[in-house]
Amino acid sequence: MTALAPELSDVHAVVEQVWSSFLGDEEPLLPQYDASGPLPADDVWSAAVSIHGGWAGTVTIELSATLAQNLTRLMLAMDDEPLDDADVADAVGELVNMVGGNIKSLMPGPSTLTLPYVAAGRAAHASDTTEVARLDAAWVGEPVRVSVHTTS
Amino acid sequence: MSKILVADDSRVMRQIVVRTLRQAGYGGHEIVEAENGREALDKALAEAPDLILSDWNMPEMNGIDCLTTLRAGGNQTPFGFVTSEGSEDMRARATAAGASFLIAKPFTAETFDEALRGLL
Repeated sequence: MTALAPELSDVHAVVEQVWSSFLGDEEPLLPQYDASGPLPADDVWSAAVSIHGGWAGTVTIELSATLAQNLTRLMLAMDDEPLDDADVADAVGELVNMVGGNIKSLMPGPSTLTLPYVAAGRAAHASDTTEVARLDAAWVGEPVRVSVHTTS
Repeated sequence: MSKILVADDSRVMRQIVVRTLRQAGYGGHEIVEAENGREALDKALAEAPDLILSDWNMPEMNGIDCLTTLRAGGNQTPFGFVTSEGSEDMRARATAAGASFLIAKPFTAETFDEALRGLL
């Protein structure tokens, strides 16, 4: 049986909309169609939200630490002030919250969205989950991956 | 000068909401911030804001419970959601609980202007 999954084009549209609204259009988010394997970065942040109810799944964002710090500075309108991990965790968590909330709205409901959980490091997925959609992209040369998992 | 209470567990999002208010022409108002629904409820009663902008999904108390508690106590302060979830189901729940509007993230200054027009 094939798990009900959001269309990749919808995931792409949601991510694009969130990205351009909060990070501007000056530097576009560029799809990387040849991406495979782990996110190509040594230092990574990740964040996830889960959806429970009419549709169940997990939406995860992984991005390089450089990208995470750059987007945090943009979202907080900061210049060169020092950033602490709490700021980065807040910004990355809010990013996945927006993407996850919009994907939830595309899927059958009613359902609930968890608060985001954020980690300084790669995301780990439970062994009984299946990846049903993945968007790999780059922003100012730094990698970001959005994936959707459902329970198999 | 009117007072606007902004409730969101994300400091980043509170800052973005305040910035967007300014871009939408509402920069001259006093801003009060709350980190969760419980704090929003307390500040709604203590600070008597003219408008409450609240996230839905927050720790301690969520936004819809905050609104329901306010309305049950007779508080009729205009209340709008600013949330990542904009499904028809959630919009209907927001309206039934007494919300004036629901702005789905991501948003623009124009979205804020349309939602807030006439409320302040």
